[in-house]
Amino acid sequence: MHTHTWINSARPRPVIAAVALTIAPLIAWAQEAAQPATPAVAALTPSTAQATSRPARPAGGIGYEKTVPVIESGKWSGKRLPDGQPDIAGDWSNTIGNHNNFTDPQGGIPNDPQAARSGNRRPLGPREDRAPSRVSDPPDGQLPYLPWARAEQQALQHAFFDQTKPEDVEPLSRCAPAGIPMSFYWHGYEIRQYPGYVLFLFNSGWRIIHLVDPNHLPANIKLWQGDSRGHWEGNTLVVDVSNLNSKARFGRTGEFTTPNVHVVEKFIFDPDDQRYNYVATFTDPDAFSRPFTVTIPAKRWTVDSPPNGWHYEVPLANTADGRKIPDHFERICVENNGGFGQGEAKAATASTASPGSNVAGK
Amino acid sequence: MNSTVHKNAARHWKSAVGLVAVAYLLGATTLLAADAGAGKIPRFANGKPDFSGIWQTTSLADYDLEPHAGREDAPPGVGIVEEGEIPYTPQALAKKQKLFAARESADPRLKCWTLGTPRGIYYPEPFQIFQRADDLTIVFEFGDSVRTIHTNNTLHPVETDHEFWLGDSRGHWEGDTLVVDVRDFNDQTWLSRAGDFHDEALHVVERWKFVDSNTIDYRATLEDPGVYSKPWNIEVYLYRHREKGFQLIENFCYTHDYDQYYPYPQPPSASNVH
Repeated sequence: MHTHTWINSARPRPVIAAVALTIAPLIAWAQEAAQPATPAVAALTPSTAQATSRPARPAGGIGYEKTVPVIESGKWSGKRLPDGQPDIAGDWSNTIGNHNNFTDPQGGIPNDPQAARSGNRRPLGPREDRAPSRVSDPPDGQLPYLPWARAEQQALQHAFFDQTKPEDVEPLSRCAPAGIPMSFYWHGYEIRQYPGYVLFLFNSGWRIIHLVDPNHLPANIKLWQGDSRGHWEGNTLVVDVSNLNSKARFGRTGEFTTPNVHVVEKFIFDPDDQRYNYVATFTDPDAFSRPFTVTIPAKRWTVDSPPNGWHYEVPLANTADGRKIPDHFERICVENNGGFGQGEAKAATASTASPGSNVAGK
Repeated sequence: MNSTVHKNAARHWKSAVGLVAVAYLLGATTLLAADAGAGKIPRFANGKPDFSGIWQTTSLADYDLEPHAGREDAPPGVGIVEEGEIPYTPQALAKKQKLFAARESADPRLKCWTLGTPRGIYYPEPFQIFQRADDLTIVFEFGDSVRTIHTNNTLHPVETDHEFWLGDSRGHWEGDTLVVDVRDFNDQTWLSRAGDFHDEALHVVERWKFVDSNTIDYRATLEDPGVYSKPWNIEVYLYRHREKGFQLIENFCYTHDYDQYYPYPQPPSASNVH
C-alpha cells in the first residue's frame, strides 16, 4: 500500500493505490520472486559485492535481482520508430530496490528504530548477499562527498527517523517530484516517444527530453527535474541535464547534490528490448571531491508480466474485442498526512515525528 | 546622382510590381487552400489531424465562464458558455454563490492542485500535446498533471469509481474532429476562479478541431444532473505557441509552500540560491 499517497487532497483515497489493492502486491512479489532471474546478458561484477559467483537469487519484494547486467553501448538492432529512434517506449522499472537506501539498495533504511524494537527484521547478512551499490564509480560504491557534505548527508540520514525540522522531511514525501536519479527507482514509470522528444512519466513528476534543440534553459531557471537535452547514439540515449534545483534527494538515506550539479545520463538499451541500464555521471565540485557514476538496472514490464503493484501499476484496458492493452491512469500525488509524509502541518511546525510507523507498510 | 536615385527608384518600383504579383499569386494559393478546407492542417501519419504542439487560450474563461463586468479579481468578459449562463439547479446555484464568495481562498488552483477537465484546457498557462496513433498525451505546465486521451478503441474502465482528477478520457475521430468522452471524476476541482463546480457525476464530451494549422476550436458539453438542470456547452480557441524558443517549463507549483526548506544543506561558502 502506498504511504506516499496519490491524491492531492485531504481525501485519503489514492487512485493508483486502488489499482494496487486489486493486484495484491505481496502475492505478486512472491510470484515475481519465484521466477528465476534470467538476465539476457552477463552479470556485472558489483563494485562492493561478489554476486557474480552466485546465482541471481531473487531477493523478493521490490528489489528482486541482486546483480547488474552488463549492457554495452553499441548499435541498435531492435525495432525503430518512423522517425528513426530506437523504439523503447513502454513500461519500465528498476530491478534492485526502492529508495530506502541509495548505496545498499536492499539493505533497508539504516537505523530503523521500529525494526530494532520489534525485532522482526531479519539480520541483513553479508553485504555481498545483496545488490551492489548504485554508485558504480568510485569503485568502493560510496559517494565521494567533501567532508562538510558527508556530515550533512549523515545528519539527514539520521534525521529520517527523528525529524525535528521541516528540511528533515524527504521532499518526495510531500509529493515533490522524485528528481534525478530517484525517479528511476521510485515505482515503475512509462516512456513515451515522439519525433523530437522522449517523455518520461514517473510516479512522481514527468520529464521531457528534448532531442532537437540542444540549448539548455537559462541557468537561473532551476527545476526539480532539471532541463534535459538528449540524442541517440546507437542503442544509447545520451541526455545532458542541467538546471537542477537539487531539492530532491537520492533516497531515505539523505544523499543530495547542489544546484551546480551537471549530469550526463546514458540510457543503454539491450537490443533484446527487455532491459536497459541507466548510467549517469554526476559532476558537482561544490559537494564532491570527484565525479561519480550511478548505475541502475531496469527491466521492461508488459501486460504479460506477472502482476506487481509496485513496479507495474498498470491495469488492462477495457476492450470490447479482448485485446490485451495496458491502460495508463493519471498519476497524481497528494501530500499524505501521516507516515513518511509527516504531514504538512507537522512538518511545517517541526514538531515531533515518528516516520517509522508506516515502515512495515512500505 | 539624380539619375542614380531615379535608377534605384525605378528598380524599387519594378520590385514592388513583382511583389504585388507574387503576393497576388500567394493570396490565390491561400484562397485555394482555404477552399480545400482542412487540407492545410498538420496531419499525422495515419491521416488524422496532428495536434502536437504547445497550446494556450487567450480567453479569460478561467476568471469566469459566464458574462461578467470587470471586478477587482477579474477583467470583464462575455463568457464562453453558449447558453449564456450555466444552468445550475437552485440548490447548486446557492452553493456556487457560496464558493464564489470564498473564491480568493478556496479555489483549488491556489494550492496548485490538478485543475481538472475542462479547466486545464482554458487555464491561462500552456500545455503540450504529444500525439501517437493510440493516444494523445497532454502535459500541463501547471502542477504535475498529465492527461492521456486514449484513441486506441478502448472503453472506460469497468470500475467507475476511480474518481480521477482529470477524468478518464476515451477519444475517437469523427472526420477531422477528435471527440473525447470523459467520465469518472472526483468532486475536488473547480471549473473557474468564480466558484463554478461539479460533482463526481460530471460527464464531459469534448470536440477538438483545427480552425487553421495554428488554432484549435475546443468545444465541450458538460452534464451533471445533480448540479445542472440540463447539459451546457463551452467554446474556446486554443492558439499554438510559435514564439522563438518557447517551451514548456515544469511548474510543480504545489512545492512552493515548502521550497524554502530545500535545498538543504548547502556548501558553507555558497550564497543563498533560493
